[in-house]
Amino acid sequence: MTGLLQHISLPGDEIPWLHEIRTNGKNVFASVGIPTAKNEAWKYTRLRELNADDFVISLPQQNLSAPQAELPFDAYKIYFENGIFNPAMSELPQGIEILPLIEVIMFHPQYRQLINTQLIEKRFPFSALNVAYLNEGIFIHIDSRVEIKKPLALIYHTDTRGQNLLCNIHNLIVVEEASSAKIVEFHYYNGEVKSRYLANIVNEIYIRRNAKLCHYKIQNEAFKAHHLALNYVDVAENGSYNSFCLQKGADVSRNETRVLLKEPKASAEVNGAYIMNGWATIDTTTDIEHLSSCTTSHQLIKGVVGGDAKGVFQGKIHIAPEAIQTEGTQLHKALLLTDTAEVDVKPELEIFADDVKCSHGAASGELDEEQLFYMRSRGISEEDARQLLIAAYLDDAISKIEDEKIAAWIKLWAK
Amino acid sequence: MTKTPLLEIEDLCARVCDKEIIKGFNLTINEGEVHALMGPNGAGKSTLSNILCGKSGYEVTSGSIRFKGQDLLAMSPEERAREGIFLCMQYPVEIPGVPVTTFLKHAVNAIRKHRGEPELDTMEFVKMVREEGKKLGLDADMIKRAVNVGFSGGEKKRLETLQMAVLKPDFAILDEADSGLDIDALKVVSEGVNALRNGKRAMLVITHYQRLLNYIIPDFVHVYADGRIVKSGDKNLALELEEKGYAGFVREK
Ligand SMILES: Nc1ncnc2c1ncn2[C@@H]1O[C@H](COP(=O)(O)OP(=O)(O)O)[C@@H](O)[C@H]1O
Ligand SMILES: [Mg+2]
Repeated sequence: MTGLLQHISLPGDEIPWLHEIRTNGKNVFASVGIPTAKNEAWKYTRLRELNADDFVISLPQQNLSAPQAELPFDAYKIYFENGIFNPAMSELPQGIEILPLIEVIMFHPQYRQLINTQLIEKRFPFSALNVAYLNEGIFIHIDSRVEIKKPLALIYHTDTRGQNLLCNIHNLIVVEEASSAKIVEFHYYNGEVKSRYLANIVNEIYIRRNAKLCHYKIQNEAFKAHHLALNYVDVAENGSYNSFCLQKGADVSRNETRVLLKEPKASAEVNGAYIMNGWATIDTTTDIEHLSSCTTSHQLIKGVVGGDAKGVFQGKIHIAPEAIQTEGTQLHKALLLTDTAEVDVKPELEIFADDVKCSHGAASGELDEEQLFYMRSRGISEEDARQLLIAAYLDDAISKIEDEKIAAWIKLWAK
Repeated sequence: MTKTPLLEIEDLCARVCDKEIIKGFNLTINEGEVHALMGPNGAGKSTLSNILCGKSGYEVTSGSIRFKGQDLLAMSPEERAREGIFLCMQYPVEIPGVPVTTFLKHAVNAIRKHRGEPELDTMEFVKMVREEGKKLGLDADMIKRAVNVGFSGGEKKRLETLQMAVLKPDFAILDEADSGLDIDALKVVSEGVNALRNGKRAMLVITHYQRLLNYIIPDFVHVYADGRIVKSGDKNLALELEEKGYAGFVREK
């Protein structure tokens, strides 16, 4: 057993359903362990540092209070401190059901059935670990035929106060028929920049018929932290999932997005950017499953890698035999700022249907010396010139964000 | 009237990729003077302008360059620009994703800051660029586009001239400002350049053909061949050159 698995008692252990899936999660994680390079899905992203044995599970505490977060757009702010939902501080909108997940598990069995047992399979060791401690996180329920214009901002603030925290967060998000909403995730830290913690996040998202969810995220964790997130998205007929993730913090970070386009005309946009230095590893993993006809998916991921850092992109598009007339595109591009920067790219296409349009591409390059000189010859400092070129490089990916204010906010952070 | 030297190049020798290109170049340019440097293709004209602006890839093997009395070769490209050197490039560079306004605003404010002037806000800046652009017959939308991307040859040269007008350098180098221009564009660009002539601002007008010098009339003309100046004179030298061709001068050395 590693330091990540501990015997602690959690609320609800007396509920057989909950006890069983927690035990399953624990057993699966115990048998797989922390993946090493031998595990195909983790061969580029090393997790050695997680072998430390002094992790402390983040639990609700008295007088935890996150600082107010300033956002340059109007939003319902929902606060988490060290992975623990803080309802007292949060501004909960009218007309949307937002509850602690544990409350839903205990009192709303019709919703708890949505928690996906696939997440406890061996191929998802960290979501198995997450389920082993299933407790923290929220349930967001958007009723049918409502359009929520103001974004829901999930603000994750971490201040470990010297402990190696394991923060397990499990959110369940349901957007019912013909509704739409925007969710923004903002992960940041305070205090000691060297604090170690593992933010282990699972978002289970259900987008029903004709519904739409925009999901935008900034990951700016402390530079010794780990951030492992799995977004498991289920899209019904003519529903759409539109996401963008900017990753820039943490020592090791993976943002994994699996989208199941289950019914005709379901669509997904999975875009992102990463910008990194030092010795960090930032991983973007996607798996888009086209399971029905006329489904579409588009992915554009752009990275800027400096120092001795490593960018990883693993992108899979699967087109099932019945998924005729589907379209899936994928493009990953990276800018390497130093000789020691690295990118590892693994695109995978699995096409079992005819009459589909599918493409993928990857490219990496360096900053253009001619462009840098041109700018400097006009008086612009080398540093500013580099920043302008980097911003220009990321611009087309960030511009995929439909909300202008959120796009502008993400541009400010993409430096 | 005593003249103040602005640029002093002494015995400059330089190579590119181990190939000797500049071989003992001497030239002094005083404040307010316009010098034309004429030479055949491959003579090393662009090499000289790039060395003056601090582009990497050139090795100065001997000689010195002083600008306003300071050692120019010790300065970075941005320091030279802030001190007042501007190169109107033969082949302006395309920068996808960076709008002209963003680019130019950074440049203007970097230079203003260096001069101890207050930085311009977006309103003031846009107003100034619009006014200067209008004089050069530039479409107002052009400044919203990415730098030089999809610009015609003429538009690129107008944008170079606009930058010069906005940055107000003390010394401007025009490297083949006429290449790729039709006669109308040539007139507009020349007028733009002439409008910037004053008693203090100096220019080095580099050209292959005499044609440009009908519009920008120089105080001095130098013939540049085989890495050095082989003959200097007034504007009539350009006409003589046009008649005799470069071959006649190269043999004289
Ligand atoms: N980067 C380079 N690598 C190799 N040779 C170069 C390079 N740049 C210029 N040259 C050579 O230097 C000489 C002078 O070039 P250039 O300064 O562009 O001439 P001009 O502007 O007078 O036409 C030419 O022979 C050219 O081939
Ligand atoms: Mg040239």
